[in-house]
Amino acid sequence: MNRLRIDLFISAPGLLLLAVGFLVPAAVILVLGVRDADGAWTSVHLVRFLTDSFYLGIAWRTVKLSLLITAICVVAGTPLAYIMARGGPRLRLWLIVCITLPLMTSVVVRTFGWMVVLGRGGLVPDALKMLGLVNRNYTLMHTETAIVAGMVQVLFPFMVLSILGVVQRIDSRLEEAARVMGCSFLQSLRLVVLPLAVPGIVAGSLLVFTLSASYFITPNLLGGSRLPVLASSIYETATKTLDWQFAGAQSIILLIGVLMLLIVQAKLTRPAHG
Amino acid sequence: MVEAARGSIRVGTAIYLVAILLFVLGPLVVVAGVSFTAGEYVAFPPQGLSLRWYEAIFSSSVYVSAALTSLKLAVIVTISATVIGAGSAIALHRGRLPATPALSALFLSPLVLPSIIFALGLLTLWSSLVGRTSFFALWLGHTVIAVPYVIRTALAVLSTSDKFLEEAARTMGAGPWKAIFHVVIPQALPGIAAGAFFAFNISFDEAIVSLFLRSPEITTLPIQIYTQLEFSPDPSIAAVSTLMIGLTILLIFVIDRVLGIQKVAG
Amino acid sequence: MTAVHLDNVTKSFGGVQVIKGVSLSIKQGEFVSLLGPSGCGKTTLLRMIAGLEEATSGSIHIGGTDSTRLPPEQRDIAMVFQSYALLPHLTVLENVMFPLRMRKLGERAEQRERAEAVLELVQLSHLAQRRPRQLSGGQQQRVAVARAIVSSPKVLLLDEPLSNLDARLRESMQEELIQLHRQTGLTTVFVTHDQEEALSLSDRVVLLNAGVIEQEGLPDELYVAPRSRFAASFMGSTNLLEVELEPSGAGARALLPAGQSLLLGGEVRKRGKATVMVRQEDVRLAPASAGAAATATLVTRIFLGSRTRYVLDLDGHMIRCLAPADQLFDLGEKVSVLVQPDRIRVLAD
Repeated sequence: MNRLRIDLFISAPGLLLLAVGFLVPAAVILVLGVRDADGAWTSVHLVRFLTDSFYLGIAWRTVKLSLLITAICVVAGTPLAYIMARGGPRLRLWLIVCITLPLMTSVVVRTFGWMVVLGRGGLVPDALKMLGLVNRNYTLMHTETAIVAGMVQVLFPFMVLSILGVVQRIDSRLEEAARVMGCSFLQSLRLVVLPLAVPGIVAGSLLVFTLSASYFITPNLLGGSRLPVLASSIYETATKTLDWQFAGAQSIILLIGVLMLLIVQAKLTRPAHG
Repeated sequence: MVEAARGSIRVGTAIYLVAILLFVLGPLVVVAGVSFTAGEYVAFPPQGLSLRWYEAIFSSSVYVSAALTSLKLAVIVTISATVIGAGSAIALHRGRLPATPALSALFLSPLVLPSIIFALGLLTLWSSLVGRTSFFALWLGHTVIAVPYVIRTALAVLSTSDKFLEEAARTMGAGPWKAIFHVVIPQALPGIAAGAFFAFNISFDEAIVSLFLRSPEITTLPIQIYTQLEFSPDPSIAAVSTLMIGLTILLIFVIDRVLGIQKVAG
Repeated sequence: MTAVHLDNVTKSFGGVQVIKGVSLSIKQGEFVSLLGPSGCGKTTLLRMIAGLEEATSGSIHIGGTDSTRLPPEQRDIAMVFQSYALLPHLTVLENVMFPLRMRKLGERAEQRERAEAVLELVQLSHLAQRRPRQLSGGQQQRVAVARAIVSSPKVLLLDEPLSNLDARLRESMQEELIQLHRQTGLTTVFVTHDQEEALSLSDRVVLLNAGVIEQEGLPDELYVAPRSRFAASFMGSTNLLEVELEPSGAGARALLPAGQSLLLGGEVRKRGKATVMVRQEDVRLAPASAGAAATATLVTRIFLGSRTRYVLDLDGHMIRCLAPADQLFDLGEKVSVLVQPDRIRVLAD
């Protein structure tokens, strides 16, 4: 019991911080979402969200973009994870550093970079102009493309590392056996590695989807106020229109969505440790 | 395995890797490139090379004071997040707390749950309970975000440690507190140290909570950049950003030295 | 003087009782082995003496003091863990000094001297400044032992310390442990599942089975006179035969199913159905002769180098015999089976 008391003592500051700095503030906002101006319980804000086509459109955009981001991460990330798993430790380390770097830089720095690349007169529009596809005022800023690009850059390592973990545990002798039995390299990837990598892909997808639904600054800066996703809509509602209750209602919906995904993810990873 | 593949596959792989790196690192490289421009505008490739924009930011009192604020904040956040996070990680690792798995998930939740929700809430609570936001409010918000990073790396190291060491220390006469100091903390130290560097990086770069809790008196460097972005970006932003990227790269290498990136990323 | 006294100690984990009432007294300076198969509770018992597990009921006295509710750091003990548990961030010398520091025994300089002396005892003085990860398994094990004896504890506890070593290293470590025990005179409790190890090292052997003491006594008592089936089969390769006991002159005979019999020693009083045991090395073979009381057919021959093991069919019972290498019989051959009457033991159950 003495040892339990010590454990409680050393974790108390963390628990306190968590409660005061995270749980209580979150609860405050969530509760606002189900209260009206007089403080009584109401579902009017939630109903408003679920019946207004504008806001449903926001929810749809959030889901649509998150799906797209996740899909791109899967397609682009799976081969990279394989290369990192089978490549040497040095290559693996350098690649981990490279893909994790954007995640570790400040979001404003990243966004600025994308602005230069995608904005008017930026690299990509200039290249497209040279190919004769667009005129000189073309910008990719404040488009869904920009949002997807910015988010993929950041969330990519989550997908890759998740798949990497799984592929590293696949015995490379299985692939050798497939080759010896007549498969080409690509066939062995498709028939042996890919099926076995699925758990990592699924886990990574859930994580990336959850995170992309939760981010707000990147979509806000790169997509602009005319292309809100749920998280940035919450920001707008709270700071521009000052409708805190409605912001709270949107927060509830976002949180429910995220929690459902996390529960699915938890259920999927539990049996492996059984 | 790749060695046994056709040459065309190898070429394809190389192209693929380059493409990925271009996409992932491109924007950052571009920022660095813009920072060295001799011209007036943000443009890539830069028009001429010069260090004028670096000179500009070092002589700009706005940027310098924002940088110092960020630095001060980051140091304090790092210290508090490290101490709080280490204690929590040790307690979680020993598994004696009630509902430890749920508690672990809870402690790590700021990493996955939408930060907008708690950031908004923090602003609401603070303005209604205290009034104007202050350095302390920023510290609180930053530390909440930083602590999970410390816990994650410390737990990762502790989970691979020898669980008999603590018992051995007790059979050698070390009471519960002494056992923590002489055995558990030294064991967890690489994880705690790596977590500390993560915390510093997180705090220095932090823009979300800082956005909500900002006030005219306290501006952090990222927020300074943010406001500049909203108005008229000039290459000075690029210079500041490049320095920040440099700092991050430095911290990544330090973390790798202390712990090894593999253990953290895996 | 009793160094350790366990009085009707029990231990339950959740609803499962692992130690079901163990009472044991260990004298000062004794080397006692706790022996038994996996899951018998020997390690749990050791950990209870250490204080790493709390007894559910009963009492534990160490050096005369009631230590039942005391945590390990307040008991005058030292323990060698199966995985050695050396502190990786300290040098070998600092590891050995650690108990002295924690228990505040003497000044820094004195602690250093004591630690160096003990390192000398285990012949590792030249490695004093190394870190544990730079040592081989055998060296780590010696550091663990040195660290345990440096504080001259009332009782030294060893949890299967030799099981991670290869056979040859284990043998030499066993000899070293015997030496150390003689030199230090420390009361020692040694947990092992290897009955040969227990027999060779101990002053006394305590055989545990499913949480109770099956039998305890001097090593050769347990070997020569096991009282139960379990004890008999655990303590070395033995033959167990189901027989019918009937009187024969002043003593008794063990009647085998097909009518053959073996003469037993004179003190056997039991009659009727019984189990008898004969050690493999006590089964003597000779070329078949007409007057022999027992004849068996050779089924398998296993060449072991210095000896040969034979599997024989004796009246339907398969028995094993360890014979000297120069005795060679052929498969299918009929041989006489000769056993000294006093080498056949009747088991209690």
